[in-house]
Amino acid sequence: MNKMKITIGYLYGDLMNIYGDTGNIIALKKRAEWRGIKVDVKNISIDDKLYTSDVSSKKINIYFFGGGQDQAQELVARDLVVSSKGKSIKSEVERGVPLLAICGGYQLLGDYYKPHNGPKLPGVGLFPAYTVASHDRMIGNIIIESMFGKLVGFENHSGKTYLKKGALPLGMVVKGFGNNREDQTEGCIYKNAVGTYMHGSLLPKNPKLADWLLKKALEVKYGGKIELEPLNDTLELQAQSSAIRKFG
Amino acid sequence: MRFILAILVGKLIFFLTRNFKLGGGSAAPGLYALSIEPNLVAKLAAKIPKNVVITGTNGKTTTAKMLAHFAKETGLKVIRNHTGSNLERGIASTLISCVNLCVNLKGCRLNFDLGIWELDEAAFNNVTPKLNPEVVIFLNVFRDQLDRYGEIDTVTKNWCQALKKLSSETAVLVNGDDANILKLAACFRGKVQKFGVKDYTIAGESIIHKKEIENLDFEAKNVKTNGLTGISFSLSLHYQSSIVHLPVPGIYHIYDFLAAFAAGTMLNIDPDEMVLSLKTYSPAFGRVEKFHLNPTSHRTPTSEVGYMGYIFLIKNPAGATQVFETIAPNIKPGDRMLLALNDNIADGTDVSWIWDANFELIQNSSNLSERAKSRDYTIIASGSRANDLALRLKYANFNPKEIKIQPDLKQALKQAGMGLKGKLFILPTYTAMLELQSILTKAGIKKHYWEDE
Repeated sequence: MNKMKITIGYLYGDLMNIYGDTGNIIALKKRAEWRGIKVDVKNISIDDKLYTSDVSSKKINIYFFGGGQDQAQELVARDLVVSSKGKSIKSEVERGVPLLAICGGYQLLGDYYKPHNGPKLPGVGLFPAYTVASHDRMIGNIIIESMFGKLVGFENHSGKTYLKKGALPLGMVVKGFGNNREDQTEGCIYKNAVGTYMHGSLLPKNPKLADWLLKKALEVKYGGKIELEPLNDTLELQAQSSAIRKFG
Repeated sequence: MRFILAILVGKLIFFLTRNFKLGGGSAAPGLYALSIEPNLVAKLAAKIPKNVVITGTNGKTTTAKMLAHFAKETGLKVIRNHTGSNLERGIASTLISCVNLCVNLKGCRLNFDLGIWELDEAAFNNVTPKLNPEVVIFLNVFRDQLDRYGEIDTVTKNWCQALKKLSSETAVLVNGDDANILKLAACFRGKVQKFGVKDYTIAGESIIHKKEIENLDFEAKNVKTNGLTGISFSLSLHYQSSIVHLPVPGIYHIYDFLAAFAAGTMLNIDPDEMVLSLKTYSPAFGRVEKFHLNPTSHRTPTSEVGYMGYIFLIKNPAGATQVFETIAPNIKPGDRMLLALNDNIADGTDVSWIWDANFELIQNSSNLSERAKSRDYTIIASGSRANDLALRLKYANFNPKEIKIQPDLKQALKQAGMGLKGKLFILPTYTAMLELQSILTKAGIKKHYWEDE
């Protein structure tokens, strides 16, 4: 793993940073560094002019997109479309670049978001899903069963996300509400992009998912199959299993 | 009649909870009384000549306690909700416990000169009009318990609405260094005065715009930290500068002082007296509270300083980061740290916030040599979410082998005290702090929190 290097693109990190989602960046960074892989974190925001060149020169190896306040979310929704950042991210994901989007970020990367009043906010159309505002506040600890085993986190949303036909959920709800509290699905996975409502932060307590994102990033950047060096995950798995015991 | 019944019921519950040690009676009496007479607070508060309301995410209790101290030192009789019960029921409980047994509203007496009320971010909007305050203080607004309060924009929007309805006679005091708070000035018809610290940027998310001069009405300059014993700075009083020695560490406490001081000025308390009286100020419970560890049960004392414990409440990213900033330069080899994270409703059920708090600061403490880091400095993770805390510490660069996990706070405290050579820093979330208080009380180290004053 020596001399390898990845860059994490923190989408709108200055605006979409509430709910402790920064822990996901910390987890990705540390888990790479512990394996001797260098990590750069780049904030990509509204005024970011470097952005287009970053994409065309394939400088970003993992994208992260967190949740934000409603007001910030509106600004960001507009910018994604106007600056065509959304389009660039989508084409990168098509190429296999991994992405993790939580809550607001997940909603904005779907087809659209329908607020209580006013017209639909168009999304990026990366995840085959759409979101409708509701008066249900879905708050609490959540556990899902996924291809990464059990994942644990905390959800706090009132938007209800519905997957379109053929879309793959990240997992099925064991405990909690998930996408919409109706169909037991939680999140969405498209190519190497993961969208989810799970805060917590998600990645520290779910190291398998964190490592999957890192592995995909390295494989896309360096080509071929890459096996990550195993780490001692005693504390990670202890935090995960104690949450499952407590809330499951 | 409902009014009198409400007081009687409240008083009865107060009596029962105290005598059967069911708690401090800081919420239940008010809760039941309000269900009988919803207008109780307004009716009783009208019997107090002057009221002050304090809100904000962090520092309410310290500000209230400091202002109360200033007022009492000048001989004023003060009533306040001093147990951190900052919802309407907490205020109602306090009023009920202090009012005489009366047969009608006219006969009810509250023999106080000043009411000091801390209100949480949400309670502020409904309760403030009932208190008809002389002074209103906005300390700061940080992300805190999103599962309970909602987002910052929502909090400030509601405050703005509440301010619009306030009498223009009210003195409104705002933190001039918190951009979100500063915006509130536009919502009020009357005079707004600002307090702040020169050249300081508040850690946390509030966007600070230190424009050339924000024209602060109460400004602290030349800040000097004095380890854990306190902090000093200069302050302009009657056009001349005075040095203030605050007996609690942490720059964030300067804001609490400035708010209390400014409010005191509005209430015509002598500024010099206020500064002088800081000498006898002792911190609110859990807010940089010092205590002596019981030598017999915990360790053999070698020196007075040797067995000091310090409690710093942590409850949200900004507050916790400010605490870390304060203690980091004071951690020495041989010291220990006990962190306790609970996820009860009063703590916030979402523990994600720990990932936004800068735990890296305590690891990077410059006083710890590499060797000391690996050998002497013990950190214990406790509370119902001890495992989440331990994980956060690992990702803040602590060696996993150094992190001890003990969810049971009593056991954790015992472990922390065993063979302790230096200081013990205890950083609990709210309900962990209450638990700690009770453990220390039973061990004879501390008084019950409702006996605090």
